[in-house]
Amino acid sequence: MAVYKKTYRPYEGGVTAGWKRFLTIPRYALEDLQRSRFLNIFYIASFAYPVIAAIVIYLEHNLAALQGLSAEKIAAVVSIDSGFFMSFLGWQSMLALFLAAFIGPGLVSPDLANNALSLYLARPFSRTEYVLGKLSVLLLLMSLMTWVPGLLLFSYQGYLEGQGWMAANARIAAGLFFGAWIWILLLSLLALALSAWVKWKPAAGALMFGIFFVAAGFGQAINQVEDTKWGLLLSVPSVIGTLWVWLFEGNRSQSTGGVFFRLDRSAVIPVEDCWATLAALCLICLYMLARKIRGAEVVK
Amino acid sequence: MNSVLHQIAAVIRLELKKTFFTRRGWWVYMLALAPVGLTLLHTVTMSRFQAYGRRGHSLYTDTEIFAFLFQTYFLRLGIFFGCVGIFSNLFRAEMLEKTLHYYFLAPIRREWLVIGKYLSGLLVAVVVFGVSVGLSMYLVGRHQGAAWSSFFSNGPGMGQLAQYLLIALLACIGYGAVFVFAGLFVRNPMIPAAVVWVWENLNPFLPSFLKKLSVIFYLKSLAPVTLPVRTPTPISFLMVDTEPVPAHYAVPGLLLVALAILIYAAIAARRAEISYSE
Repeated sequence: MAVYKKTYRPYEGGVTAGWKRFLTIPRYALEDLQRSRFLNIFYIASFAYPVIAAIVIYLEHNLAALQGLSAEKIAAVVSIDSGFFMSFLGWQSMLALFLAAFIGPGLVSPDLANNALSLYLARPFSRTEYVLGKLSVLLLLMSLMTWVPGLLLFSYQGYLEGQGWMAANARIAAGLFFGAWIWILLLSLLALALSAWVKWKPAAGALMFGIFFVAAGFGQAINQVEDTKWGLLLSVPSVIGTLWVWLFEGNRSQSTGGVFFRLDRSAVIPVEDCWATLAALCLICLYMLARKIRGAEVVK
Repeated sequence: MNSVLHQIAAVIRLELKKTFFTRRGWWVYMLALAPVGLTLLHTVTMSRFQAYGRRGHSLYTDTEIFAFLFQTYFLRLGIFFGCVGIFSNLFRAEMLEKTLHYYFLAPIRREWLVIGKYLSGLLVAVVVFGVSVGLSMYLVGRHQGAAWSSFFSNGPGMGQLAQYLLIALLACIGYGAVFVFAGLFVRNPMIPAAVVWVWENLNPFLPSFLKKLSVIFYLKSLAPVTLPVRTPTPISFLMVDTEPVPAHYAVPGLLLVALAILIYAAIAARRAEISYSE
């Protein structure tokens, strides 16, 4: 039996601190994403609405500019209130859905398809850190699209309005922050779960749209066929819209939510049920991830 | 000519084995089965209501319910996404499994290959969604008992069912042609699917001349039952009313558009090159 000289050496370099190991994944993932021209253009274009909203806020507070543009009537129609910020959030959230459907499926499926997961998990890197790392890619990008510009607009409006406007409308800021977070958290978990289960990226992306649009349409069909309102629990836009209205305006709200997340006031579902639906969806996604993100896989 | 038909039939036979009842296509079957389950639930619920002596609704209401289900679920979602799944997979799945070169190396013209694959996809889509439409319509009013049977045998039921099946067939033909093209030439068919879906759903808000560039406009023109006007939404004022197209224009119009896309895809496939490294 041949005896070879032991040529390998254990790694002796510096080790990344445990709490920030998960950041390695977004560092490389973001580098990869930067190479996509389509994604870059889409991401830059997604800031068009915040810029327009900032211009509207500016015009609303500068009557001289409005007189110059002869647009006082427009200013009268556009009021900077919870509806304005909900519409902003609705529009940006729809773009976030497109972003998640585009990049989400490519985050986990290549690792699973190429049996690369064991390479991650063989290192001092847990399954939770892996999921957190992948999740942070989406959370970061979608945060920059939703609540970050939202709070900047809120601050801008508060600065121009003055006289305690921000304190009086603190609920809007809280609604923007938490409303955006529930949406981006749901989207990120959904994208990762589908990416883990559906190896073909376009199919996983299509499934995201399917869950958003097809389930909503099917919910409407249930309402019509069964003459009920509970079909709305299948409709993600209705569930999220209901929660947003509650977060922005509280229990006595009468508004119809933001664009793409409109509510039908004739069939309102209780907020508690919406929270329960959201929690159930997130738990299902986590369960799906837990089933697939494993260091070893039994291949039948 | 016989050899061409023979080759197309061979492609269809091969593709049917791959497309029918595949694990990859489970969600297409779910899309088709969902309304069947829903209408079954409806008929069971209504039957129990009637058994307890409660008054049900009229037969006409059931036809309206089905019209709503057909126009909002089948046309806008079920058949659309089903066609995305079936037709864009015809070529993309071969690329993923690195098996497309077997077809390209076989002594068969690319045009016949495209047509063979398209026809197999069409067969699957029509069978799956045709059965779903037929069963859903049968089940939605089953709780009416003899009146529903009479609606089919002596009333307009059979005519309406035939019209719904024709619309489903045309939808599969139209969307199928679009997505077989997308699957052949676009690396990620989800992008064209999203664009087409947005376009189709923007239809009520488009000016008349642009409405005619969508599949849904022709299909809605053929619907046997007109949906009642729903509660206006905040953006209802943006909707543009356009006269529906008569059936003798709508059907050939849609077929011509589908044929043009398919011919273009078939001709362009002659220059298609495989790059599995994508």
